[in-house]
Amino acid sequence: MFELRTRRSRWTIQIVLTLLVIPFVVPLYTMVEGSLQGRGFGNYLAVLKVPGLILFFRNSALIAAGTIAIVYILTMAASFGFSKLRIRSKEVFFWMLLAALTLPEVVLLTPLFVTADKTHIYNTFWAVIIPISALQVPFMVLLTRSYMDGIPDELFEAARIDGAGTWKMFWSILVPLAKPMAVVVVVLVLIAAWNAYLLPLVFLQNPDYQVVTQLPQYFQGQYNDDQTKVLAGALLTALPEIIAYVSLQRFFEQGMSAGALK
Amino acid sequence: MTVSAVPQGVGLTEAPAKAPRRQGSAANRRRSRLAPGGLRWILPGFVLSVGLIYFCIGYNAYLSVYDYNGVGPKVFVGLGNYLKAFQNPDFWATLRHTLVFFIVGYTGQVVMGFIFAAILHSKVRFAVVYKILIFMPVIIAPAIMSPVHRRVFAKEGAINWILEHIGLGAIAQPWLAQVSTSLFVVIGVQIWSSIGMAFILFYASMGQVNPEMLEAARIDGAGNIRILISIILPNLRGTAIALLILKAITSLKLFEFPYLLTRGGPINSSDFLGTYIHREAVLQFHYGYASALSVILLLLSVVFAIIMGSRARRD
Repeated sequence: MFELRTRRSRWTIQIVLTLLVIPFVVPLYTMVEGSLQGRGFGNYLAVLKVPGLILFFRNSALIAAGTIAIVYILTMAASFGFSKLRIRSKEVFFWMLLAALTLPEVVLLTPLFVTADKTHIYNTFWAVIIPISALQVPFMVLLTRSYMDGIPDELFEAARIDGAGTWKMFWSILVPLAKPMAVVVVVLVLIAAWNAYLLPLVFLQNPDYQVVTQLPQYFQGQYNDDQTKVLAGALLTALPEIIAYVSLQRFFEQGMSAGALK
Repeated sequence: MTVSAVPQGVGLTEAPAKAPRRQGSAANRRRSRLAPGGLRWILPGFVLSVGLIYFCIGYNAYLSVYDYNGVGPKVFVGLGNYLKAFQNPDFWATLRHTLVFFIVGYTGQVVMGFIFAAILHSKVRFAVVYKILIFMPVIIAPAIMSPVHRRVFAKEGAINWILEHIGLGAIAQPWLAQVSTSLFVVIGVQIWSSIGMAFILFYASMGQVNPEMLEAARIDGAGNIRILISIILPNLRGTAIALLILKAITSLKLFEFPYLLTRGGPINSSDFLGTYIHREAVLQFHYGYASALSVILLLLSVVFAIIMGSRARRD
């Protein structure tokens, strides 16, 4: 974008960039440095030996998988309907869905909390999966619909003339063509579900059902606020996310620029 | 290296931002009689999202006129809970903090996101490393990073260490533990975690600026700054507005960082609507009052929804 002709200007911009990125390095450095104080790698071994540690990861994985499956299916079907099918007063429905985009999850708290006894959702994964899915669908439909609007309608008309039903169009044309959006949906929903904190905090009190975002507090309880182990636990929990992001970084960047948020 | 990361042939990237949707809706009208009905395709997602919303709005509105603690009887108090909120300085404090957060947070996020996007579109070395570092905070859960931030801003933490070593030891202080600074630490941490999003969106829209236009401007003798102001900035307007709306929503939703860093304290100094509602509902069992607060929060959100809806229709 910018032409940097002289060697000096190149070095200047590199140094400016490095200085600006310091605030991003400091927390990562603090996390590693703090987790190694005292017993060094012994902290990590102690954390890994915590019984039930694997449960936190399993529960988060289950919630993420459930949420991704629900959001993916509902988003693809709804975007297909909004973009390619005939629906009376379509834009009214779309607008009502968009209104859901602004719903803060904390607003769900009191109604779900008060009705938890009657609905038996307390200490079940559904208490987390359903609200997160409901909150994710609107934004995903917004992104996916504009992406599908870019797929020529003629493809679907041709398929129709050849006798394909709606289901066939969806399955054989739309799903394969919408693959770039699938990556975006999976990554964004994965982040939202894996990082969810408020809903698990309130609805998953049973230790067997707790998730990774509750680990720092769990360690604080376990180790009497021994910060070194809390930080070691934080690093171990962040590691899968860091690895996943670094390896998916290219695809994600492509998906984001193919998406429609402009 | 950096420019090639943006795919040139994928979907909408080459078309001007607004064209596809307009074409789509025109085509929709033309062949609307041809297309099969699609109500049942949108229904499941619609029922889940919109259904949950209306249930929660209705239930909040219903509970908000009662005094109810979960076990005793519901006592009808009319608009009492709302009056209680409007007379409570704690409530106004959360709104004030939300507004400060919105203004400072948006400015910080957009300015830094823009600077990073502009620099990383130039030919710098190790661009991928910088990109990953900048986006990392978006990925890692606030719940996971919060213990780290508490350490960074602690009395013997990294911030004070840096201040002492660049000769500013005099202003070193326990940032999270005092009324005068806690709000700005929370805002700063939230900016830190949101710059990556602004960066990646700006980066994507900068990649769509026509290279021939840049070439032409350069031949006409425009410098880097001139190109930035006259060609690139106008192209980023849509992204900046999208970020503004997202930030407004985030400000109203804010819960995790204030809850995990300061619990809204000390003495409400970093309290937000999210932490306030959570405290009233889950910890104090003031369900009626918490519902009234939720309804106020919903009304504020609806204002943004209308702004957003009118924008979406205009496009």
